Amino acid sequence: MTHRECIRPVLAVLVTLALGSTVAGCGGKSDDSTGGKTLTMWTFKQPHVKALQDIAKGFTAETGVTVKIQAYTPDDAFLTKVQAAAKTGDLPDVLEGHANGDDLTFGAAGLVDDLTKDVDAGWLNSYLPQVRVDGTVTNQYYQSSLAKDSTLKGIKLGQRFSVPLTIGTFGIVYANKKRLADAGVTTAPKTWEDFVADLAKVQKANPTNGGISLGLKAPSTGLEWFLQPMAYGLLGSAPFRALWSKDNAANFSGPNGVRVLETYGQVTPYWMPGTQSLDIDAADLAFAQGKSTFDIGGTFTLAFLAQNGFDPANVLTFPIPAPAAGAVPNLSLAPFTLTGLSVSSTSKNRSTALSWLKYLTKPDVAAQFAKAALDVPPINLGSDPSTAVGPALGAMIASFGSGPSAYNPGDTTYRPNAYDSGVVGAALMNFSPLKTETAPVTGRKLTGLINSYWAKQ
Amino acid sequence: MAVSTETPALAANRPAPAPHRRRYRWSEVVAGYAFLAPALVLFAVLGVYTIVYGFSLSFASWNGFSPHWTWVGVQNYVDLLWADPARAPRVHQAALHTLAVMVAVPLLTVLISFPLALLLNSIRRFKTVLRSIYFLPYVTAGIAVYFAWQYILEPGGAINTLLRTVGLGSLQQPQGFLGNPSTALPTMIVVTVWSAVPVSMLLYLAGLQSMDGNLIEAAQIDGAGWWRISRSILWPLLRPITAVIVLLNVRDSLQGFQTFLIMTNGGPGDHTNVLGLEAYRLAFLARLGPTLGLASALGWLLFLAALLLAAVNLRVMRRVT
Repeated sequence: MTHRECIRPVLAVLVTLALGSTVAGCGGKSDDSTGGKTLTMWTFKQPHVKALQDIAKGFTAETGVTVKIQAYTPDDAFLTKVQAAAKTGDLPDVLEGHANGDDLTFGAAGLVDDLTKDVDAGWLNSYLPQVRVDGTVTNQYYQSSLAKDSTLKGIKLGQRFSVPLTIGTFGIVYANKKRLADAGVTTAPKTWEDFVADLAKVQKANPTNGGISLGLKAPSTGLEWFLQPMAYGLLGSAPFRALWSKDNAANFSGPNGVRVLETYGQVTPYWMPGTQSLDIDAADLAFAQGKSTFDIGGTFTLAFLAQNGFDPANVLTFPIPAPAAGAVPNLSLAPFTLTGLSVSSTSKNRSTALSWLKYLTKPDVAAQFAKAALDVPPINLGSDPSTAVGPALGAMIASFGSGPSAYNPGDTTYRPNAYDSGVVGAALMNFSPLKTETAPVTGRKLTGLINSYWAKQ
Repeated sequence: MAVSTETPALAANRPAPAPHRRRYRWSEVVAGYAFLAPALVLFAVLGVYTIVYGFSLSFASWNGFSPHWTWVGVQNYVDLLWADPARAPRVHQAALHTLAVMVAVPLLTVLISFPLALLLNSIRRFKTVLRSIYFLPYVTAGIAVYFAWQYILEPGGAINTLLRTVGLGSLQQPQGFLGNPSTALPTMIVVTVWSAVPVSMLLYLAGLQSMDGNLIEAAQIDGAGWWRISRSILWPLLRPITAVIVLLNVRDSLQGFQTFLIMTNGGPGDHTNVLGLEAYRLAFLARLGPTLGLASALGWLLFLAALLLAAVNLRVMRRVT
């Protein structure tokens, strides 16, 4: 073998490796943020994409910066995507995540930046007073970060990891206005009893499609969106919180718990057949397609219904009502920040990203976003929000309450840290709609599960 | 023609020539190792690294985001098996469901695919068309098909409509076949069997076609009928294939969860939760909870169960072949 023949295989290997590394290099992170002219933003909310893209055009016109919006849905897929991107260093500049949840966990893991020094008083004042604190590490979150196995380990009191983008609440009933009118129901029910009576009337008039749809394939929905607001109205704040306590006289296994469960059980005959096999989107879709007459959701549901062809003018919305003899007869729902915007710690365009976040707080921009996304912005839209965002969304905003008569689904301080609402919700499903267990047995099982979470505290 | 003059005895006594050990040039050695390197690196990264990483993770608490793992020793295994009152009962319930699937799916698959293969092997007309039809579930199985099954099984779906049309309305499921806790798991077993039968049938068919025709002919001359030939000749000769089919389906039932994830997500309630799905939930649906270690521990427990099953299968295979 000559020298040239010897060297040939070595050269072949080197060329192969060089080509391989070139190809591998092509798969890496592309620098699409040259000179701060392009921002990337990820969200788990598909209905937000088009609205944000339209708003981004105005931002581009004002600053010359392009914003690329990408949605990864559902939110579990979004979290997995963020998890993978964090490992490979491919995080976008801006993330829209669940406020007071994902944002704080991302902050604890160092994936998103602390915005405390950037969000000054002027910026904060553009938000509604009740949501200004959302996205920050309050004492409640700081204390919970000290617990064993906390996902927030490492956060510091006062840090801010997101600013609000949308606010809202769970526990809103969407009803098909036309079907209700056909059944003789023309106004929203004021009490739980009225609600159950309306369910019966509508079911009688529409035996096949007069029921309630709710995505019970995600079992926490029955518990958090339906039972809890009613339970708050029935018992009032302190006894409601005690349902999750270790005190057997006051928790789900006690008389109050059984009373709550039996009241909730009154809706069992009115579930849409098969709703226990539907996920949240499928349940909303069933309502949009006329397979059910009532749909339980949140402020965010309207956007999905409209996107799937349901006329917002044909919808009657009202909060889950309290029982007539309940402790809070005039129950309302308190808004809290549903989604917030964070800036990733690896962003090369931090200042541009902050400008984009600030741009979204402008009243006209926020109203444009609300109208297009059919979601509620955290900005004060004046005394009559309907003029800015339309009647359906405006009515929902107007129904928001505050103080002790308002149930705040965002307040979870009464629950143990390791609490898994999916597991607890699955136990509740055996009572309603599945009817495989009685209220007292379900109460004992719920308490058993909740106590097991307290044991880890 | 060349003729050897050497006697065979002499040739046999002569010592064999020492093997020639060729010395490789360094460039050849480098080239050899360089060509091996991609495979070795791939194995090291995708095999060794992931196994070691996953095994280590099963002794830690981590949510996939936080910078550090918290070492917990064997606590994850203990929690899953008995210690954690929130998790252990779910794992026990999922294990029972998995066991039901592991017993029912292989059994039903064999009971359906063997007669189907016999039938397809015996017919003369439309053989190819029918084989293609019976093989369709395998080539079409995927997310879309399982969504289609959901629609078929829902309260207003095709099965309830069919039952009503043929006068069997009492067998209808008003909540859908996946919405009723008593029918959800059996329905999932039927859907799993539906997707497992084609490959099993193909394996049986391959076995039947490679069989010596003289055996069947001899049995027919001796007066054996179709049933006797199937029971006493074909079934015993196809036992090794049955063992393979059972092993494959037991393994799939133990570890598979995709169908359950798409069609029921373990519901209604937890009535169709299986171990694979529970591991997936702990890993990816725990809302950032520090449960990746628990998911890994459950994965290793499943691996141990699979190992045990493989050992049992090996013994059974030795006995039947």
